[in-house]
Amino acid sequence: MMTFLNAYDPLFELALFNILLAFSQYIVLRAGVFSLGTAAFAAVGSYTAAIIVTKCGLPPWLGLAVASALGTAAGTIVAIPLARLRGVFQALATLALVQIVLSITLNWVNVTDGALGINGIPKTIGFVGWLCVVAVLTYLMSAISRSSVGRAFDVIREDETVAVSLGISVQKHHLIAFTLSGAIAGLAGALHAYSSYSITPNEYGFNMVVIALAMVVLGGRVSVWGPIVGAVALTGLPELLRGFQEYRMVVQGALLLLSITYLPHGVADTLISAITRKRIAVESAKAEVVTV
Amino acid sequence: MLMQQILNGVVVGSVYGLFALGFTLIFGVNHIMNLAHGSVFMLGAFAGLYSVIVFDAPFPVVLLIGGMAGGFVSVVLDLVAFRPLRRHGSLEFSSMISSIGANLVLLSLAQQLTATRVMRFPFDTFPIIVFNFLGLRIQLLQLVIIGVVVLTVVGLLYYLYRTSFGRQIRAVAFSEHTSKLLGINPTAINFQVFFLSGALAGIAGVLIGIVFNSVHFMMGEPLLLRAFVVIVLGGLGSIPGALISGLLIGIIQTLTVAYLSAELADAVVFSLLFLVLLIRPTGLFRGAGAVSRVTRR
Repeated sequence: MMTFLNAYDPLFELALFNILLAFSQYIVLRAGVFSLGTAAFAAVGSYTAAIIVTKCGLPPWLGLAVASALGTAAGTIVAIPLARLRGVFQALATLALVQIVLSITLNWVNVTDGALGINGIPKTIGFVGWLCVVAVLTYLMSAISRSSVGRAFDVIREDETVAVSLGISVQKHHLIAFTLSGAIAGLAGALHAYSSYSITPNEYGFNMVVIALAMVVLGGRVSVWGPIVGAVALTGLPELLRGFQEYRMVVQGALLLLSITYLPHGVADTLISAITRKRIAVESAKAEVVTV
Repeated sequence: MLMQQILNGVVVGSVYGLFALGFTLIFGVNHIMNLAHGSVFMLGAFAGLYSVIVFDAPFPVVLLIGGMAGGFVSVVLDLVAFRPLRRHGSLEFSSMISSIGANLVLLSLAQQLTATRVMRFPFDTFPIIVFNFLGLRIQLLQLVIIGVVVLTVVGLLYYLYRTSFGRQIRAVAFSEHTSKLLGINPTAINFQVFFLSGALAGIAGVLIGIVFNSVHFMMGEPLLLRAFVVIVLGGLGSIPGALISGLLIGIIQTLTVAYLSAELADAVVFSLLFLVLLIRPTGLFRGAGAVSRVTRR
């Protein structure tokens, strides 16, 4: 068991990193915000964490805290102007943000070491550390989704007009969603910097936007299980398809295409709603028997 | 020097405009974002390139083949990625996702087919003739590109505003439901729109391929990202906006590369997109009517 764990340690850490990214993407999509900014926030967190340890020589826990704080701040700052835009335009603006951050990390060579990326970051986070963070965040996510904020997110996603008529402020909740997304992605980026020895700008480009989106679309964007299922599936898939290494992207693209077409609510949400429906059917059958 | 850079900017910008026009056409009619438009562009360029390599086709034929190939790919894209989605609602979100998926598939197929090589047009595809005019160095190719773009745009505008087909397209763009009542078949219109848009992308692909003399599987992505800036600046769905801001972005980019640095060009262009969305999200050339589609009340 231990050898198995050791051999696949990087893969597990990648899966856990992907779960955090998926959470960051999930929380905005759940609120009906079409933000693609996760990659940008993750880059902010990652670079902050790496610079604090390698260039300033400060301890990693401080790096984690500052990175999460900066991620949160980035999310909030972006949210204030973007909360008034609608779907497609939010997507475009956040995509532009990803490009701007990428451009800065590539060209601000004094601070970010340019295209080479920052290397020689001491590894301070292991598998257990990752697991703890993901467990805590999963709990927080499910707590949020059962709170009034989570319910408000659901209403806004389904129909903004209804949300407004119920007295739910769309802008305020979009702000909350953006902020949470930034915080989670900032933390995820920082953890990634502390567990992978080096970071490069191109990790946080369009590819990460696509993978974060794919995980949530495949998994589902209502239940907390959605991003987890999506992240695990999309991390494991390349390992299963190792023989078809060249066609990995084709499979990923086709999967995205097929899942949005035939399973528009994602694997987890479709399963959960099927189970719920069945349980309701059984319960109502029982109730009928009793009344007769 | 400044005039020379502006001229170069106009040439590149007119091709950006052509590319963005196809993108904005689909958005204007179907209200969806086709994120696979960059792949259509790339495949159009490849079709043009292979027609030169294999058949030694002359320039006008290369353009035609590039355009046809782009149109064909775009129609297939509509059939595979967008049509199945129309059954269930929330097209805005799902069409973006499915076109990202289709884009990945097309990209990696092209990567496999070309073995990740950067390919070039043969040396004598287009004769290099340079004119000197008022101190400017103008290549024949640059003049031809501007000519091709102008011709294509005039043709498109004629089609959209002076023919019965164009009237049908505009009717569907206004309201698909109403146009159905008037006996217009939206399915047929969608075919036309996707073909036109793909053809514009294909022609733009051939032109960019010849100007920069490189054709490779990733060439679509930077152009698609530029097209976002172009259409947001011009107002999503607006045809004159796409053309004018295409030129503008081309000029701004060339000037940034010439006077600041090549690396900064991206940052400048995307900051511009961000700024426009903050200050005037309906685009610089759009009236107040579009406000409700862009922002919340």
